[in-house]
Amino acid sequence: MFTAGQVTDSAPGRGRLELIGIFLVVVGYILIFSDDAMSDELDAEISRLQADVASLAGEVFALEEGILHPADSQVTVFLTLARRDALTLDSVELYVDDTPVASHLYTDREFGALQQGGVQQLYTGNLPLGDHVLKTVLTARAADDRYVRRESTHRFRKPPGQFRIQMSLDARSPDYQPEVSFREWK
Amino acid sequence: MVVSFVDRCWRAPGQWRSLSILLAITMLSSAAASARTAEDLAAGLARFALASGSPEQSLTYSRNLDGYPGAWLKAQALMALGQTDRASILLQRQIESEHQRGAAALLLARIALDEDEEAVAQQRFQIAAGAGYGEVRQQALYELAELERRAGHRDRAGRILSGMEAGYWTALGYMNLAADYSQQDLNPARALVALRVALAMSEHDTVSDRNRNLRSQLLMRAGYLSYRNEEYEKAIGFLEQVPLDSYHTPRALYFHGLALTARDNHRGAMQSWHRAKKYPLAYPGVQDAWLGMGRGYDLSGYLGQAGEAYLAASASYESERVTLRNLASQIRQQGAWQTLVKDTRDSEVQWFLADSRTLTQPRLAYLLGFLEDPAAQDLMGKVSDLASVEASLEEKANNLEVFRAALKDRLETPANPVNGRAEAFLARLESLRDRLEGLKDKSGRPAQLETLNRSAKTLQDVEASLALLGGSLANRDARLELLLRKTEAVLTRIRGLRSRAASIRRRAEGRLDGMALAFVSRHDDQLVHALDKTEQQIAHLYEYLALETLERGGQ
Repeated sequence: MFTAGQVTDSAPGRGRLELIGIFLVVVGYILIFSDDAMSDELDAEISRLQADVASLAGEVFALEEGILHPADSQVTVFLTLARRDALTLDSVELYVDDTPVASHLYTDREFGALQQGGVQQLYTGNLPLGDHVLKTVLTARAADDRYVRRESTHRFRKPPGQFRIQMSLDARSPDYQPEVSFREWK
Repeated sequence: MVVSFVDRCWRAPGQWRSLSILLAITMLSSAAASARTAEDLAAGLARFALASGSPEQSLTYSRNLDGYPGAWLKAQALMALGQTDRASILLQRQIESEHQRGAAALLLARIALDEDEEAVAQQRFQIAAGAGYGEVRQQALYELAELERRAGHRDRAGRILSGMEAGYWTALGYMNLAADYSQQDLNPARALVALRVALAMSEHDTVSDRNRNLRSQLLMRAGYLSYRNEEYEKAIGFLEQVPLDSYHTPRALYFHGLALTARDNHRGAMQSWHRAKKYPLAYPGVQDAWLGMGRGYDLSGYLGQAGEAYLAASASYESERVTLRNLASQIRQQGAWQTLVKDTRDSEVQWFLADSRTLTQPRLAYLLGFLEDPAAQDLMGKVSDLASVEASLEEKANNLEVFRAALKDRLETPANPVNGRAEAFLARLESLRDRLEGLKDKSGRPAQLETLNRSAKTLQDVEASLALLGGSLANRDARLELLLRKTEAVLTRIRGLRSRAASIRRRAEGRLDGMALAFVSRHDDQLVHALDKTEQQIAHLYEYLALETLERGGQ
């Protein structure tokens, strides 16, 4: 129970309470703002780290290419779509001289990128000079909504130096049968 | 080089000048076409790498590209890597160009919004809405409507939404508008109309997953508002459309039970609550469904079963409190990232059971609840990004360690002198060439001749390679040493980056742990409150039963 004296005679006590109140408000503000500042600082540090990692990734990629695939015996196979809406690609398997070397299942986003002119580096490896056979097996849904599986082969001669093959998928009306065409770049 | 050749052609004597110029033009156009092909290839590779979730690789492919689409792809890769400062410069240039103006403005607006610059964001959303088309335009208009709604101008927001095409973004806009109306109005009629419009709009969304999730949420909200407006049939109609595999199902089942109780269908209500009880207590609505069962028996006149149901609810709350205490102690020991995300991911659910069991895992239920908070989502995203950076650095380091060992191994193996062996190879080449010539004389069919010609060409290539082999062997050690030095340097950089990533991740995880512990504590408080309510109900019930017994004794 409070006495009248305690209530009325509290000017110094009230002053102390006010001071404590102000102190608590100031501490609260500092805590809130320092939390925000810490969050911003963390964001900036993450951003700097990601920039450094991205730059390193480029260097490592080039270094790995240099170590793993010497240019003289390198063979690269690319995949593109000749027509945007001809077929919906589901999967591709790639064989070099009857040995499976690459396979890929496509997400909607990846297929969308191919439709917009994207190029997939399906395989990079090393082959000796001379004749080789590239076989591709693709499964897709044609424009007339039929699922199709198509095998195509391409014979090529590996010359000295970098050698690149572009596989281009197409399906023409009226039957929309998938076709794979091969183009060699030296 | 080509330019200097053109210059020389121009100075050639009269009769040769036109021929030389023609040759030079052919060379120029061929060089330009080759450069364009290389640029197209790099842009195509960058586009595919971006789509397959490798922005770092995409950036590597597009590093030397300018103009469209190179700069646009680079900007998108930088955005995916969180490099908003560098991306902003490219995006600003993109807005001033002819291509992807809308999409670039949308990305820039989002950056401005993240930096709390609403006026700048609004201006850029307007550019995106004007210049963009399809999903970009709809997103920009939705964001403009949201800015108006958040500023309290609901009529303006409504006007923007009414001008949009039917689809996901319009539905989302109307849902948010409905949430505002339901908070502001005493009568939920306006909110219900907005939700009905949202439901109609969502029917035109073609992306099935997000559409299913949004519709569940809209139906649940419409059901709740109808219940509050005492339109029980309507509420039941909405709630019965919520699919059973949605995050909102337990809450929808609880409200469904309430609406049935209001129609005096206690048996039906208890069936709904019984289904809701199958979900973990972490989901909204499940706690209330446990209590509802007791209340349902009570109202149906089965007082003994009501007591049992309340006791069962009480036991389940107590057991959940133990689960929460364990979860909190695991978070303190291993951290929230390991406890809520990694352990949930590594649960031994067989793939063929995963779909039907995922919603019934308490840990996943708490994770979903925790991630309803945007700040938790943001922090969890940061920790996840940092963990993937660390994992990718570790993988790179492992690969490079293998390469370093292989390079050292090859350097320690002396290169065999080529002299004697080259002569043997050349002799074999000569003999093969003679055999080829002999076969060519004998063969008459074109196919045979073609095969032999191909073999002859390969022999030529092998001979050319042999001629270069001596030089390659002489440079071998220098080349290997260069690669080794580069590998060592990159490995040192990776070590530095790994320790930086680990230190930043520890700090981010510390903050995430604090947030997760607060979340667990809030849930515990809710359970304590639910326990209180259950105990009160049990006390009321026993009091009533005691009075009944006394009355019967008195008679």
